[in-house]
Amino acid sequence: MKGLRDRKDVIKVRTPVDEETIRHLKIGDRLEIEGVIYCGRDAVLPRIARLFEKNELGTINVHLKGAVIFHTAVSIAGIGPTSSNKVEIEESIPILSRAGVKIHLGKGALNSKSIKALKENNAIFAVTPPTSALFAAKTISQRLVAFKEEGMEAFYEINVTGFPAIVAIAHGKTLFAQPPS
Amino acid sequence: MLTCEAISEAAAKCLVKAGTTFRKDQFEAYRRAIETEKNENARWVLEKILENAKIARKKRYPLCDDTGIPHLFLEIGDRTMLPAGWLSAVHLGINRGLKVMPGRPMAVKGTVVERVEQSKGLFQDPGKVLPAPVTVKPTRGDKLRITVLLLGGGPEIRAKTYRIFHRRSMEGVLKEAADWARAEMSHLGCTPCTLAVGIGRSHAESSALMLEAMKEGRLDRQNPWERKLTAWLNETKVGPLGLGGSTTALGAFLKVGPLRASGVRIVTVRPCCCVEPRRATVALGNNQ
Repeated sequence: MKGLRDRKDVIKVRTPVDEETIRHLKIGDRLEIEGVIYCGRDAVLPRIARLFEKNELGTINVHLKGAVIFHTAVSIAGIGPTSSNKVEIEESIPILSRAGVKIHLGKGALNSKSIKALKENNAIFAVTPPTSALFAAKTISQRLVAFKEEGMEAFYEINVTGFPAIVAIAHGKTLFAQPPS
Repeated sequence: MLTCEAISEAAAKCLVKAGTTFRKDQFEAYRRAIETEKNENARWVLEKILENAKIARKKRYPLCDDTGIPHLFLEIGDRTMLPAGWLSAVHLGINRGLKVMPGRPMAVKGTVVERVEQSKGLFQDPGKVLPAPVTVKPTRGDKLRITVLLLGGGPEIRAKTYRIFHRRSMEGVLKEAADWARAEMSHLGCTPCTLAVGIGRSHAESSALMLEAMKEGRLDRQNPWERKLTAWLNETKVGPLGLGGSTTALGAFLKVGPLRASGVRIVTVRPCCCVEPRRATVALGNNQ
């Protein structure tokens, strides 16, 4: 298992993430992610999902088994979570989970279809605050992977250390509170 | 008389300050929330947001990678002597500020259809992010006051302008407006929010009043209605990032304009995200 509990409340997770690590994570767990994570959002995630469905991910040298995908733009202004419940992002979550993505990282509550798809594929959704200045200190390097024409919405990978997140949806359970009716 | 160069320089600095710096009332609101929040994960989020703000202030780094769309609120004194080209000078300053901060390069290229469909890609130049239409208001004195507000995309997904039948009840109007926001809270993601509310006679006017509320509001000076709005949102227990807890909203900013004889009020509600309102103001006198 690559997820190591070094203190009561922080679990270090190294990418690529294995099945056992995900099985042991539960909602409310605080994570520090180490290693390479992919970055994409509205424009590019549907394109990545289509490549997977056509079995063509190899054409852009992307390997999603055990991957973490952060729902973010990558630009000179830094990185930070965008709303994961935007249609193009949320629709990609079931497909990318089937492709092997283990941690979808973003912000905002997801719908029941996404929660079910995450459970079926032993994947989780984690959230992180929009703290771009802090993320800059946690990012070692970044690289454009594919779809350069999408600008800040292109597909990137970043190498991070101690990247903070909280597990919000795992194994059919969610931390997101529903407002009283 | 004011010079265009002085106006541009002031506008540029103002934009950078708005995008990189928490105001004192924001720092204090977060410190208060950390002291009172009992949910551990919620407190962790609040601490991270505060830590981020300290790094951003020290390094002049954007508070959030979504550096927002610049919205300008200009107040012009009745004795202010403005040079020819002053408004272009403000826009030039915004362009310069976006390059310096830097802003996120998110302006969409192309014709009408290409822009809507985002099919021609994006400009790499952050200065291509043009300001929204400018709000101008007359004031007394000899100053030109420039306020830059940077409005992020997340709250725009959750904001709403619509009519409310007031039934001669301020509480009823605000309760209905709060209910709109309560329904969106867990989907916003970037809570704790500050709820900005404008009440006016038309959709355009209530939106402008909401912006004015964002310009003027202070988290350490909340009137009873603003406190009530905040309490209604905090009842949801959505909490920071939607993870639960008592800190769903840090406060509310309310602005009511002139109203028309009618049973209807037009209300704009915008749940500003956890780094907003990102705003800064500069005042220039006639001799600058």
